[in-house]
Amino acid sequence: MNMKLRQLLLLAFVLLLPGVLQAADLIKEKSFSGANEIKVLFTGTVDAAIVGDISRYIVYEENDPDIKLALTAATVTDGGRGVILKFAEPLNSANTHVVSIRGLNGAGAVDFKVSKSYLGYLLSILISAMLINNFVFTKYLGLCVFFGTSKRKSTAKGMGVVFTIVMLVSASMSWFFYQYILIPFNLNFLQIVVFIGLVSLTVQAVDTILRKVNPVLFNSFGVFLVLVIANCIIIAVPLILANSNYNYFETFMLALGAGGGFLLALYLMSSVRERLEIAKIPSSFKGLPIAFIVAGQFAMAFLGFSGLKLF
Amino acid sequence: MTNTKSIGQLLSRGILSENPIFKLALSMCPAVGISTTVMNGVMLGVAVFFVQVFSSVTISLFKDQIHPRIRIPTYTLTIATWVTVIDLVLAAYMPGAYAKMGIFVKLIVAFAIITMRLEMFACKENVKDSFWDGVGMGLGFLVGMVVIGFVRELLGSGTILGYDVLGFKPLLFFILPCAGFFVVGLMMAFFNWIEVFYKQKRGVRS
Amino acid sequence: MKDILSIVFRLTLTCLMAATVMGAAFIFTNKAKKHNEHVREERTMYALLGYSEAKPAPASIVLHQIYRYIITEGERQYVSYLIPLESGKPGAPPTYSLISLDLQGKMVDQKPVAIDGEKIREREDRDRAVMAAVGPGKDVHFADHTIIVTENGKRIAYLLGGKFPGFKTFINVMLALDPSYTMVGLEILEHEEDPGLGAEIEQDYFKNQFQGKSIKTLKDLKVVKEPLPAEYQQALEGGMAEADMARIMEKYKDKDIYALTGATISSKSVTDGVKGMAKKFAYRLDILDNILKEQQIAVSF
Repeated sequence: MNMKLRQLLLLAFVLLLPGVLQAADLIKEKSFSGANEIKVLFTGTVDAAIVGDISRYIVYEENDPDIKLALTAATVTDGGRGVILKFAEPLNSANTHVVSIRGLNGAGAVDFKVSKSYLGYLLSILISAMLINNFVFTKYLGLCVFFGTSKRKSTAKGMGVVFTIVMLVSASMSWFFYQYILIPFNLNFLQIVVFIGLVSLTVQAVDTILRKVNPVLFNSFGVFLVLVIANCIIIAVPLILANSNYNYFETFMLALGAGGGFLLALYLMSSVRERLEIAKIPSSFKGLPIAFIVAGQFAMAFLGFSGLKLF
Repeated sequence: MTNTKSIGQLLSRGILSENPIFKLALSMCPAVGISTTVMNGVMLGVAVFFVQVFSSVTISLFKDQIHPRIRIPTYTLTIATWVTVIDLVLAAYMPGAYAKMGIFVKLIVAFAIITMRLEMFACKENVKDSFWDGVGMGLGFLVGMVVIGFVRELLGSGTILGYDVLGFKPLLFFILPCAGFFVVGLMMAFFNWIEVFYKQKRGVRS
Repeated sequence: MKDILSIVFRLTLTCLMAATVMGAAFIFTNKAKKHNEHVREERTMYALLGYSEAKPAPASIVLHQIYRYIITEGERQYVSYLIPLESGKPGAPPTYSLISLDLQGKMVDQKPVAIDGEKIREREDRDRAVMAAVGPGKDVHFADHTIIVTENGKRIAYLLGGKFPGFKTFINVMLALDPSYTMVGLEILEHEEDPGLGAEIEQDYFKNQFQGKSIKTLKDLKVVKEPLPAEYQQALEGGMAEADMARIMEKYKDKDIYALTGATISSKSVTDGVKGMAKKFAYRLDILDNILKEQQIAVSF
């Protein structure tokens, strides 16, 4: 638990003060480049005899500290301000790598971690939940509400927005409950009851608050609140979170992606269905059957996103 | 008013005239998501069947004790309890099949069909009728899942319940993830067509 | 007011009843769940070694469980192995010891761990025992689980369990190596790949391609996007005479892995995952064996 908290604080720090942490270091930039290279840029000129000497380096993956990766060359670049480390085998850039250089800073070793940017990782969770693993078209969840509310564009937008808001609140609460109550007390088997309870609570709370604060908005969006609870995506997201051990930021991104993906799916579908109403369709296909066929075509189109890697 | 309903009527209503998948179009997610084989359909169908029957009977037993203002929370809690029980039992005794169904067993808790039957039937009727109503609805879902699973497994991998019946794979497309939408849509259209066809025939006769 | 009291009372009662039902179900099923998981795991292990219900393993075959932990103490990290020791008398229950190595592969210490053969298989019990053995103030992190198989005291195979990212979520596998680190078999335990596409990784014609790959071949094993040759597919699925099968398997022994149609990424994930697992294991076991020999620690395997 302590780890989680520390992680959170650290992350907030890193996000707020970019550069400060690194400026204290000798290292200005470090990144993976190519399949088997790590590129390092120092803040000033460094001794080429030290950084160019591969025997001074120890490089390993953070999870396997006992397995040293074999270096083949260290080429000094940028007029003595940078170095490119070449490895014998391709690196797995999904894992964090730890690089340690002996003798660069006096007698001690300089350690630093090389990983893909965390913001990029968070964005990839968002994009993945929205497009690649869209909850409606590739995970087949929330279909009842999806087909029920995708007849009109205005309804679709309302439902999508309300759903995203409830999703964010309830997923956040579920994450805290899961991390700080269910896991420590070994109550994992109560997942279903706790999550559905939290969703009902959120829906009720949003209902009450909206009714008091903005009755106009409530009149237009209130009807969708009841439907949110019948949508299985809202209960699927906490269950997925429980399986994948995400931290809070990742949870937030997944919830946002799930909500955004649902909104996108609803909007696309309602645009088609508004046109379908004036189209000539065989009578036995009218209504739901043709909607299913259209959804199937969307699902096929969304298959095209699979394997998409942005970050 | 519904006291005169016989067991047969209760059953046939769930399976045919108010089939949860094809007629009410509720609880569609698993029908599209994991109906790639007959076995998956049977497993999830059985899980839903038990949750529906147990929840119906529980609510019907305690219907006089439930305060009307907390009706819906009580239903949710009842369903969640039975889903948890089924989930634990399946995970313990059928780990292989459970792994195939993934998250869908837990998601039974959000099935509109179960809450709907509790609200419309079990909270008003006696235990016996509620039981048969639950059985009918549960069977209706099971039958729907099996039919979809049958079509997809036969056309997709040429097998039934894992046994090779065709000896070749006619159309891989049918077990691809997105084909669930097409199969359900086409079957709904087919049932609509049959209904219209019979109505016309009857109309001609009379 | 009376209304509210009545609501609260009834809701509490409902919750209590629900809790009783769920709690009872949990207690009843938990034991069976653990038991069935073990049975399933063991069946997979024996299947990888070539035994089945029709052909049970002889009593001379023994499985030795080894658990690897990473222990962090401030800035320093150790790699520790929880291993069964030679019990001396035949039939006596094994005792366990935690051997810690530093990152350079030098032995740091050896500590006895108070745990028995049943409890060691439960993650929580095992973690607790290891934590008690290393003392407070250290971060103990379970890394992986390996099984060394011996027949009459001679090593015949290694079984490695592992998990790596697939196309959708994680793929959980177990692979078998022989004492020279040549692949004996691969079993896909859990995955969530798409049916008809990535899910084909569990089919014989894909996973059996790993059979017979030596550690040298494995190190630069790649995935090729070529159609699987018909004779190779037939051999992989086991639909021909044994002599022919052996000949064809031999022919394709050092070839790359043929990607599944429409699931190149899943194929590549499995190949890379298996490659990494085998490579790391071979590296570590050599170090551990050397240490055990140097320190003259009598282990059961």
